[in-house]
Amino acid sequence: MRKPLLLALLLPLVACSANTTGTATTTSGGTAAPGKDSAAVGFIFVGPKDDYGYNQAAYQGSQEVAKAFPNLEVITAENVPEDDNAARVMNSMIAKGARIIFATSYGHLDAALKVAAEHPDVAVVQQGNLITTAVPANAGTFFGTVYEPVYLAGIAAGKATKSGKLGYVYAFPITQTIDNINAFELGAQSVNPAVKTYAVSTSSWCDPAKQAEAAANLLKQGVDVITQHQDCTATVIKATEAAGKFTVGYHADASAIAPKGWLTGSQWNWGPLYTDIVKTTLGGGFTGSKYNANFRVGYKTGENPFVQSPYGPMVDEATKSEIDKARELLKTGSPFAGPIKDQEGKIRIPEGTVPDYTTIEKIDYFVDGVVGTLPKA
Amino acid sequence: MTTQLTPTPVASPLVSPKPGYLAAAGRWTGALAGAIAIFSVLLIAKGANPVTTLVDMVVSMTSGFSIEQIVMKAAPLVLAAMAVVLPARAGLANVGGEGQVIIGAVAGAGVGLVVSGPAALPLMLVAGALGGALWAGLAVMLRVTVGVNEAVTTLLLNYVALDVMLYLIYEPWKDAQGSGQPATPPLSIEQRLPLLSGTAVHAGIILALLAAVAVWFTLRHTAFGFRLAVTGGNPEAARRAGLRVGRLLLTAMLLGGALAGLAGVIHLAGVEFKLRPGLTTNIGYIAFLAAWLARHNPLPAVAAAFMLAAITVGGDSLQLDSGLPAATVNVLMALILLAVLGWTAKRSSS
Amino acid sequence: MSDLVVDVLTGAVRGGTAIMFAALGETLAERAGVVNLGTEGSMLVGALAGYAIAAETGSPWAGLAAGAVAGGLLALVHAVMVVWRRSDQFATGLTVMFLGLGLTSLFGAAYVGRAAPGFDPVAVPLLSDVPLLGEILFQHDPVTYLSFLAAPLLWWWLRSTRGGLLLRTAGERADVLHVHGYRPGLIRGAAVVAGGALAGIGGAQLATAYAHAWFEGMTAGRGFIAVSLVIFAAWRPLWVMAGSYLFGAALALAPALQARGISLNQFALDALPFLITLAILAILGRRTLRAAPEELRRVFT
Repeated sequence: MRKPLLLALLLPLVACSANTTGTATTTSGGTAAPGKDSAAVGFIFVGPKDDYGYNQAAYQGSQEVAKAFPNLEVITAENVPEDDNAARVMNSMIAKGARIIFATSYGHLDAALKVAAEHPDVAVVQQGNLITTAVPANAGTFFGTVYEPVYLAGIAAGKATKSGKLGYVYAFPITQTIDNINAFELGAQSVNPAVKTYAVSTSSWCDPAKQAEAAANLLKQGVDVITQHQDCTATVIKATEAAGKFTVGYHADASAIAPKGWLTGSQWNWGPLYTDIVKTTLGGGFTGSKYNANFRVGYKTGENPFVQSPYGPMVDEATKSEIDKARELLKTGSPFAGPIKDQEGKIRIPEGTVPDYTTIEKIDYFVDGVVGTLPKA
Repeated sequence: MTTQLTPTPVASPLVSPKPGYLAAAGRWTGALAGAIAIFSVLLIAKGANPVTTLVDMVVSMTSGFSIEQIVMKAAPLVLAAMAVVLPARAGLANVGGEGQVIIGAVAGAGVGLVVSGPAALPLMLVAGALGGALWAGLAVMLRVTVGVNEAVTTLLLNYVALDVMLYLIYEPWKDAQGSGQPATPPLSIEQRLPLLSGTAVHAGIILALLAAVAVWFTLRHTAFGFRLAVTGGNPEAARRAGLRVGRLLLTAMLLGGALAGLAGVIHLAGVEFKLRPGLTTNIGYIAFLAAWLARHNPLPAVAAAFMLAAITVGGDSLQLDSGLPAATVNVLMALILLAVLGWTAKRSSS
Repeated sequence: MSDLVVDVLTGAVRGGTAIMFAALGETLAERAGVVNLGTEGSMLVGALAGYAIAAETGSPWAGLAAGAVAGGLLALVHAVMVVWRRSDQFATGLTVMFLGLGLTSLFGAAYVGRAAPGFDPVAVPLLSDVPLLGEILFQHDPVTYLSFLAAPLLWWWLRSTRGGLLLRTAGERADVLHVHGYRPGLIRGAAVVAGGALAGIGGAQLATAYAHAWFEGMTAGRGFIAVSLVIFAAWRPLWVMAGSYLFGAALALAPALQARGISLNQFALDALPFLITLAILAILGRRTLRAAPEELRRVFT
């Protein structure tokens, strides 16, 4: 009989221990500096590495790391879901010798922290999210202040619109996206006070059919500049261009598919930052470095990995000089410098206040001028 | 561990334990060889070396870490496969494992939001089972009362279940501390399934194996199991023989749903700890196929679930070692399934 | 308000067309007695083939043809398995779906982000100027106009031609065909393949006329919607057409409202098409199955 045998085998195993996986256990001292002299570095991406968007940009960054460190093996994995599968893939990379891991999607944070807790000798950095608890000695997050170039692009949109209606196709109401939508509207408002931004969500990082429907409806409402926060971007841009309206890009320079309507946009340049993180870590200096934290970089220091895309033919010199002026202001200020009003007209950031990066990454409301509703937590 | 990729040893109980053993084993080997040959051709078309690709994949499955991962992947698959096996005995096609898994996880997470302390985990497990049963119950009620086919309704309910979960994690249940991420707050330590000592494997696998044995025992050795088989064989005859067919269908499906719900809650409390958009990654569908691979026999279904879990885990190697797109593993899985489904059964000639 | 209705209905046609092609294909298969859950896979390979061939040849029409061929070929796997190997229809269909998902991922990466010519909207002269209806129906891409013809054509073909009669008989009384010297298996297989080809056209329409892009998994469950739709429509092509637009409308409602600053819960809306179908199935009850082809009823019991 198979059953008693099976039980006899299993029962002694049921001595159990608490499942502390992924909680911030204190990393033991005395181990080697995380990631020091690692032979390999691993990158995980949430989507395909050729999506013409977020993941492709991150993949290109990983290839620049490969170029900068010819002796370092660069292991990449695409389509890694934002759940525990991510931890499994990262662990497989560690098994292959990687002691530096880049988890490049917002939702990879939990898995990244879990892997960091299990492997004190591996440095795990996550792109875009925020560690809200104590930062472990071998982990960190990094990102650019994406909303700054989006704010600048908003100026171009505010100048270009004739209807006074801008469109924003977004995936999920995560803070990064909320900041972008707000910054876009604030940038446009700075040159065109009555302008409105219509925000439509698709509930997916990449569902081209839903994007097409969102764009069609925005255009029908008289929106004449469309931007987006999606992982794949071609659908919305092509729909906008076909309708003869203006496009503001995101993730990549897509002016090739919108030769007439391209205004400007924001695009990634991860290479230098990735390379510096790897360099710091290989040298044994990760713990205590600026990357062992929620590292943010923006126009204040001039090293933003998120840069403004080239201008299209429709942007006039006056607009360009407005944008140049605003870029200067961002070195000391912020798109979210007070006063900032929410949709109900309540002052959220008082006049004279320049919020820090962490405050901005916790904004959970749309500013006045955005048309759309956020789900309530 | 390579035996998990080549399920020839488990072939005998799957197909025919009696005379055709050698023939069956031959068919299995041939089918699998055919599947791997076609896969190799595709790999060559993509410019990959099939030999190194497959060898790397098999090697990657044999590390201690991978084995733990396979066991953890298999735990919910085993339960969700039982959720197909049990109703199938009564002739019901439960294609709704995916939705029942999701609702099980949702119910467990819901309890986790309000109950803490040592009672939390048992209550979560119960809630998960009840949630899954409820979801399956909706479908089987439509079948029993108004005669709507359950394969269709369970399939539709999968999508509704996903939307229910997304609705909850985007609004009412969203973790306010989670920096805007659509997910529930993480389960506390006491709400999680304990680990088997010395491993990273959570105790859900024990639950899953016990459930599989229980399903096997029920189907094989109880009057209820016999009645199910009679109903599944010929419902009209069962009705004439005085069996209460409606009630039997209802019970089988509710039990199946409960098992799938349990799969969801152990995945939540053992591995994920949070509800989030991609929670189930096709557990329900893959389990449906595992159950079919085993022709709805409970113990072979366990083996099939482990095999599919191994293929999934081995699939990581396809991109880490060979640089192929992640979903390539679906091709391998599908080819193996087609080969086994199409070329190992005795053909029922009509 | 009336412009909201127009927008939702226009969106219903836009979003319902790909689903309609797939559902008409599934109707063919099911009227011949075969359920094909692999329709999702046929749509996916159709989408990739349509986009890729349009990119390679510069002709979206060539892409559309390639989409039909690819969808049909994938359905051939299902046909061989269930008709000649007599494997389980649900399990095989799901497997074929996974096969389509994997194959398009394996071979589709090169076409993500690549430009390809597509179908652009062409306003039909005169008709497009009719108030309301003109905008809803006659300012679409050419493939959408084909879909207007496809449903009535299929309805007529099934009802009034010899081929249609043979196909329906294969689904109702296969033994009758035997008696008259036909091979019901062959007819069924052909119906499944033709159905897959239609699903492939739907996928190609999605990629080359609606989204103007290829992306992994871009059908996002529309093939499964198509399968449930056929039952909701009681296997009648004209009802399939109506049902497709109902699904399309439910998908179009959320963005139409959001573009006006109104947010319903997105996910309640997403669930709506499925809930409507479930409600209709519950109301029609046994009548849904009574309308089912005889051979299909065997699959469904």
